[in-house]
Amino acid sequence: MQRDDLTLPRFGSLYRVFGVVMAVWVTVVVVLGIMGPVSRLPILEHTARNLYFHVPMWFVLYTGAIAGAWHSARLLATGREIHDIRAESAWLVSMTAGTIAIITGIVWSRFTWYVGTDIWWNGDPRQVMVAVQLLIGGAYFVLRGSVDDPRRRGRLSAVYALLATATMPFLTYVLPRQYKSLHPGAEGNPAFSEMDIASDMRWIFYSAAVGFLMLGWWLYTQRVRSVVAERRAERLTDNTPAPTAALS
Amino acid sequence: MWESRTLCFWGTSACTRRFRMLSFADYSVPAFAGRLMTLDWIAGAWAVFAKDARLELRTRVALGALVMFVAASLLLVWLSLGGAETSPSTAAALLWIVVVFASAVGLGRVFVAEEERGTTLLLQLALRPAQVLAGKLVFNAALTVALSLFAGAGFRLLLPVRLGEPALFWLALVLGALAISAATTILSAVIARAQAAGPLLPVLVFPVLVPILLPAVALTELASFAPADVWAEAQSSLVLLVAYAGLLTSLSFVLFDHVWRD
Repeated sequence: MQRDDLTLPRFGSLYRVFGVVMAVWVTVVVVLGIMGPVSRLPILEHTARNLYFHVPMWFVLYTGAIAGAWHSARLLATGREIHDIRAESAWLVSMTAGTIAIITGIVWSRFTWYVGTDIWWNGDPRQVMVAVQLLIGGAYFVLRGSVDDPRRRGRLSAVYALLATATMPFLTYVLPRQYKSLHPGAEGNPAFSEMDIASDMRWIFYSAAVGFLMLGWWLYTQRVRSVVAERRAERLTDNTPAPTAALS
Repeated sequence: MWESRTLCFWGTSACTRRFRMLSFADYSVPAFAGRLMTLDWIAGAWAVFAKDARLELRTRVALGALVMFVAASLLLVWLSLGGAETSPSTAAALLWIVVVFASAVGLGRVFVAEEERGTTLLLQLALRPAQVLAGKLVFNAALTVALSLFAGAGFRLLLPVRLGEPALFWLALVLGALAISAATTILSAVIARAQAAGPLLPVLVFPVLVPILLPAVALTELASFAPADVWAEAQSSLVLLVAYAGLLTSLSFVLFDHVWRD
């Protein structure tokens, strides 16, 4: 990994405006999600509100994982430290969203479709997939923790991230053949089409998806900025020149 | 940073970007020279494999540990089942769990041992990264196939469930073992560079093994029940195993350069 100057794009006050808009947007979405209109279908009843919180987390999880893989590839191609920071932050946001997605999913299924039973873990393909994705993320951070040299840490974790990303298309193809699903698009469950989300709910759902993606991006940039600031501060304190060629 | 190097060895990839591009490009030169280089390349990879095999046969550390691991876990499985009637599905799941754990424990040695002996630098100087990976991959594949065949034989002995199509049972074991070795080889190169190498390999490798485990277990079950069109039903799982092994292998060759270079 090269020692680069760690410059970030400057959005200036636009970034602050974005933060305020995002905060208001997410607040409104949360309030509407809890208080707003809901089509009370037989089994779903009020639990349909979880659509606003559970599904966008899944979007954030995959956007974050893709961003992490992209920056891992950029790190291997260019060797710039900033890509390591970006990849790690993207994975962190992605894993946080994944944890929320799997918890909301488990609770939702337990008290909606499996009410009166003892089934928490229903072996839904998406559930297993997110679980595997969380295992991969956990392994990624364990690997990062076990390498001291920052250049080596960046490269090794990028290699692992790319290798693990390659499993995802296989999982999407393999798992649904073996397990039943509650999710849309499987076994005659309706997909996200015109018909099955009531129009009032649809607009809240779309704005929730946009809102949580904005929140994810904002958390990601916050994390990147704080790590960059930390690294710059470290450089100010130790004035040793950058190593020109690394021998190890 | 790479540009500041003055020395450039073909195998180290600590070369300048220009030289590295050359070393990739020379596979596309005219037929005669290309063939010589290919032979050269294979000889180098074979030397890595032969060295590992000779070292292994001298001490039998990895082989002995793997055989003991498989034997012990087979016995543990048999004891914990307590003579209960085992369904073919349970037997298939247990068999693959034993194989996966054995390989995650035993296969990390190939690169960790180089690091412990301090011979990594010599390999880096003498050979191209891809040759080292190819040699190690073949060694690991041989070890995994042997181990999984041993585990399969042990299962046939201890848990004699119904087996309708023995050929598919053994084929699934071989293909699954090849795919597992593809995943573990590159990851053992990764952990050899980290500090806590021992417990790290299972953590890293298990999520990557999920797409291998599912079709492999399905194939083993299929071999037990053996419906009339068993091979037609097995086709998609077989394709999946081979495709995933191929993907992991080619990805390993792309990514290994970044692990091996320092």
